Amino acid sequence: MADTLKTSLHEAHIKLGAKMAPFAGFDMPLQYSSVKEESKAVRESAGVFDVSHMGEFFAEGQEAVKFVDYLLTNDFSKAEVGKAVYSPLCRENGTIIDDLIAYKLSADKVLICVNASNIEKDYSWFEKHAPKFNCNLTNRSQDFSLLALQGPKSVEILKALEVFPSEDFTYYSAREVQSPFGPLILARTGYTGEDGFEIFGSHESISTIWSKLLEKGVVPCGLAARDVLRLEVGYPLYGHELSDDWTPLDAGLKWTVRMDKENFIGKEFLSTYKPKYRLAKLSLEKGIPREGYEVLNSSGEKVGWITSGTMSVATGKGIGIALVEKEKFPEDKLFKIKVRANELDANFHTKAFVAGGHK
Amino acid sequence: MASQIPSNLRYTKDHEWALIEGDVVTVGITDFAQSQLGDIVFIELPEVGTQLDSGATFGVVESIKSVSDLYAPISGEVIEANSDLESLPEKCNEAPYESWLIKIKCSQQSELEGLLSPDDYEKVCEE
Repeated sequence: MADTLKTSLHEAHIKLGAKMAPFAGFDMPLQYSSVKEESKAVRESAGVFDVSHMGEFFAEGQEAVKFVDYLLTNDFSKAEVGKAVYSPLCRENGTIIDDLIAYKLSADKVLICVNASNIEKDYSWFEKHAPKFNCNLTNRSQDFSLLALQGPKSVEILKALEVFPSEDFTYYSAREVQSPFGPLILARTGYTGEDGFEIFGSHESISTIWSKLLEKGVVPCGLAARDVLRLEVGYPLYGHELSDDWTPLDAGLKWTVRMDKENFIGKEFLSTYKPKYRLAKLSLEKGIPREGYEVLNSSGEKVGWITSGTMSVATGKGIGIALVEKEKFPEDKLFKIKVRANELDANFHTKAFVAGGHK
Repeated sequence: MASQIPSNLRYTKDHEWALIEGDVVTVGITDFAQSQLGDIVFIELPEVGTQLDSGATFGVVESIKSVSDLYAPISGEVIEANSDLESLPEKCNEAPYESWLIKIKCSQQSELEGLLSPDDYEKVCEE
């Protein structure tokens, strides 16, 4: 067995009595108190996640923005300095290497935050294309710890810690800041649908901030609550809704593929591609959709499968995201989910299961 | 945090408890099981009259993140199912030994001897 990696806060999680589980090679906190309590805290007040397992790359130099823009399907060149952009990272054939957030810290400095399970795969992709641009690429994943402070009280709490930069630091802003805890990279981003921040810093800075947040009554939250929260607002997760085997156009991410952009890897292919799948958000009155369950049309024919499913804490219903074969997508939008021996009628949702409070 | 293991009950390695009263066996999940599962949000129980073989799946308990089968500790007929739990599954977290799932009319008395004593079950939990 390969050595399990630990984040800098590993010991703190153990002391808090967290239930730990392996995730992307790391021993990560799954839950502390309970998934219900933790996800409620994020929807109603504030919770904090240790997401230090995620990867951080930097592209720096005159053509850093141009380089990143060429690799992302979304438009990074038009983003203002001090803003972040969510985007898939695709191959020439449109398949998804990963989804990520790129932060334009200055006109010549970009932070790229990627999924922990894809760090090596992503970095080799960036490395392969970097030489064509005047910029310097570094993988600093080991140097940074990362916290996600999420929930309606996040601003109030950051202000109390004297870390909140200014009122113009709006949704998807990103900035390098000097704080009482040392230099940080602060972004108003997250994965819960609520207002909140992601805080990148040295292991020492983040460890101090973690303790301060807990002192302020912020609830430590594990990966299980994180998954519930992201599913409630319909955010995709790599390895579930997104994969090496299909494109962003198959997974409800058309808005992130900017055909009006000058050029990017995958543009040529995606410009004429007819998607194989269409995403469907489904819920059950009784029962819980789970990954891998079959999705059927009203006459019981298999049309797709559940890519992620859980019990929603906010709605008290079983919710799931499905990939449905485009050609078999029922016009009447009547779906059934096969739960063990039963074919249960599902509700089709055009919007997210939960609205989320971010502005 | 040792979990509770009442001395008047018998147990299975699948973390179920069994209360034996004559030939009727009341079945639930243990304190250890509920604490491992976390928030229990869904329970599926069999119909009264279902014939179960020892070790057969008789239902399902789901936490937010997981699905676990329930296994019949002994063979027999389901004579009662606690359908109240289907609308209040969290009771299994709050009071696991009061939240019985089903009652089985035991068809093979000899199987009762195969159930674990509290001491033996404690060892299972420590493994």
